[in-house]
Amino acid sequence: MHIVVCMKQVPRDNSVKINNDLSINAEGIEQIMNLFDEYAMEEALQWNEKLGGKVTVLSLGPDEWKEQIRRALAMGATDALLLNDPSYANLDVLGAAKVVADAIKKLGDVDLVLAGRNSTDDESGAFGPALARALGWPQLTYVGKFLEVNDGAKKMVVERHLEEQVETVETSLPAVATVVKDINEPRYPSLLRIKKVAKVEIPTWGAADVGAASSAASVAGRVPPPPRPKGEIVDGADAAEKVRKLVDKLMENQVI
Amino acid sequence: MDFTANYDMFLNEEHELLRKTVHDFAEKEVAPHIREWDRSGAQAEGPETRMHIRPLLQKMGQLGFLGICVPAKYGGAGMDYLALAVVCEELERVDSALRVVLSVHTGLNSLSLLQWGTEEQKQKYLKPQAEGTKFAGYCLTEPNSGTDAGAMLATARRDGDSYILNGEKTWISLADVADHFLVFAKTDPAQGNRGISCFIVERAFPGVSSHPIHGKLGVRAGNTGSVVLQDVRVPAANRLGEEGEGFKIAMSALDNGRYTVAAGATGLIQASLEASLRYAQERHTFGVPIADHQLVKRMLSHMVRKLDTSRLLVYRAGWMKNQGRRNTRETTLAKWHATVSSFEAADDAIQVHGAYGYSDEYPVERYLRNARGAIIYEGTRELQELLQADFALGTRENRPLRRELPAYSAEEWG
Ligand SMILES: Cc1cc2nc3c(=O)[nH]c(=O)nc-3n(C[C@H](O)[C@H](O)[C@H](O)COP(=O)(O)OP(=O)(O)OC[C@H]3O[C@@H](n4cnc5c(N)ncnc54)[C@H](O)[C@@H]3O)c2cc1C
Repeated sequence: MHIVVCMKQVPRDNSVKINNDLSINAEGIEQIMNLFDEYAMEEALQWNEKLGGKVTVLSLGPDEWKEQIRRALAMGATDALLLNDPSYANLDVLGAAKVVADAIKKLGDVDLVLAGRNSTDDESGAFGPALARALGWPQLTYVGKFLEVNDGAKKMVVERHLEEQVETVETSLPAVATVVKDINEPRYPSLLRIKKVAKVEIPTWGAADVGAASSAASVAGRVPPPPRPKGEIVDGADAAEKVRKLVDKLMENQVI
Repeated sequence: MDFTANYDMFLNEEHELLRKTVHDFAEKEVAPHIREWDRSGAQAEGPETRMHIRPLLQKMGQLGFLGICVPAKYGGAGMDYLALAVVCEELERVDSALRVVLSVHTGLNSLSLLQWGTEEQKQKYLKPQAEGTKFAGYCLTEPNSGTDAGAMLATARRDGDSYILNGEKTWISLADVADHFLVFAKTDPAQGNRGISCFIVERAFPGVSSHPIHGKLGVRAGNTGSVVLQDVRVPAANRLGEEGEGFKIAMSALDNGRYTVAAGATGLIQASLEASLRYAQERHTFGVPIADHQLVKRMLSHMVRKLDTSRLLVYRAGWMKNQGRRNTRETTLAKWHATVSSFEAADDAIQVHGAYGYSDEYPVERYLRNARGAIIYEGTRELQELLQADFALGTRENRPLRRELPAYSAEEWG
């Protein structure tokens, strides 16, 4: 069984500042593993302990993300892959999903891809579904419980925890699943593994290695929504006069 | 600002990953409860019944913290002595009671077994301690002897292939929690310091009892108490080192215990600084954040100075331990400087917080109470002062020991 966990490194807390171009400024803020991805990682490790095989932590991001990749390796991931290329710098969610899909296809033997339901910085929640679409695999979002992962029969049964119901779904493998919070209790990295992984080389693929030119939209710019027009305070000697003036104005503007 | 950056002459990626792990543990599992646990220590009476103490030690054991710098073949994580400092820093950043565990269990007890123990003792006692399934304490102090350890009254009388121990040890950290104790007692009372021997005593041995000390100023979240030995029969195989070697073992243990205290105090300085930086930028007086006032800035800058100097002294001592060099002078200097600085830093942190710092709504008053103890235990401030002067005057030197603390070896320990 080969499980790939897509992992993103994000700034801790909501204490990030916003740059002038409205991108996120996380300078000086501690970087952590995206909360939901940590649950995905733990789930992958638990199934790996039962089924054997490999757990690959996969990230598309800059070199600094190796820090959290190492953390995942110290938790127990058996393999790692970083996708890093200058052309990936401004990819939007769909673009990132396409690149990751190409990399997963290239890995070849992947049975299951896990990711968090969303990242705590961008919060789009679109990566998992976009990845499933790009791979042409079934997608299971908001998974709150994995009831069965069957390597031999290539099928899986999960609970999707939706707002008003819990849906039990059976799917064929390979598939892509995104997990919700509190699905398990993520383990701390093991000190013995820290020693082993602290200095290992993290395999890194650039665009040329990933192959298949994944064309996609990139974020060209960000503009704030137009400011709300200023309100106006209606003056008057007393409430009755204020109301009369307000009604006049509303009629003038053909609101009533 | 990252106050642990730019120490790469001492630390590597391994230490960074470790720091994050300990940091996460302390923030997640301890920080949310620490005020309540600390208060529980002020209210406790009678035997130690508080429920948070054991699970916390067990968790630290499972994560490998308690055997951090013990070779893997003895059940440890096989990291180096600097890793021990990193664990202590991050634990005491949240509360001193956590670091005290590392001081007595790992620094004073386990490392003494590593240094002085026979292979059999290491397998039987060090291994479960490093794995964190058994907890360990260190019993030197008595009601009438602290600094003057040679004045102890506890005795150990040889009887066939065992010793009979009698005495009372007090101010013992983890007195009611530890499964194993290193106990110092006189095998030859006429010989003074040279008449002291060291024994590995199990709580389960008949005649061992303990009770907590209540009303402590600090480390209230943790357990401190007395250990009473009444005709306790201890197998001769449990004597650590040779007969009469106990005082040397006690002092060499303190080279490691004081190192953990110094590292922890560094973490406490950092906690005081971080709390003060946050508060000084939030609190406004006279239309500006108080961080804009020069006299507040001075308190912050002094904390930074104390933080960096303490950390550098600690890491130097750790580096020497890794090399297998004797570090008594360097370790006691680090302990003295870091503990005195941590009390001053916590005091200033309260000042920065004004009245709010005077209640346990903010953590800084706890930092002050906790910092105070470290100026007393594991060698009082005055003792460290005397030692430094004597080293400088050349009236004191480190004579080689029969067994030195082993140097760190990445290959053999892993
Ligand atoms: C929270 C806590 C935890 C502890 N945990 C342990 C433990 O786990 N195991 C253990 O064995 N002990 C432990 N201790 C005991 C501690 O190590 C002793 O308290 C310490 O060694 C000082 O001894 P004392 O209290 O008897 O003070 P004393 O030795 O009586 O000293 C009293 C005062 O006299 C000064 N003084 C003494 N001699 C001299 C001198 N020659 N020159 C100048 N000044 C001098 C001292 O500096 C001090 O100011 C702990 C203490 C505390 C507070």
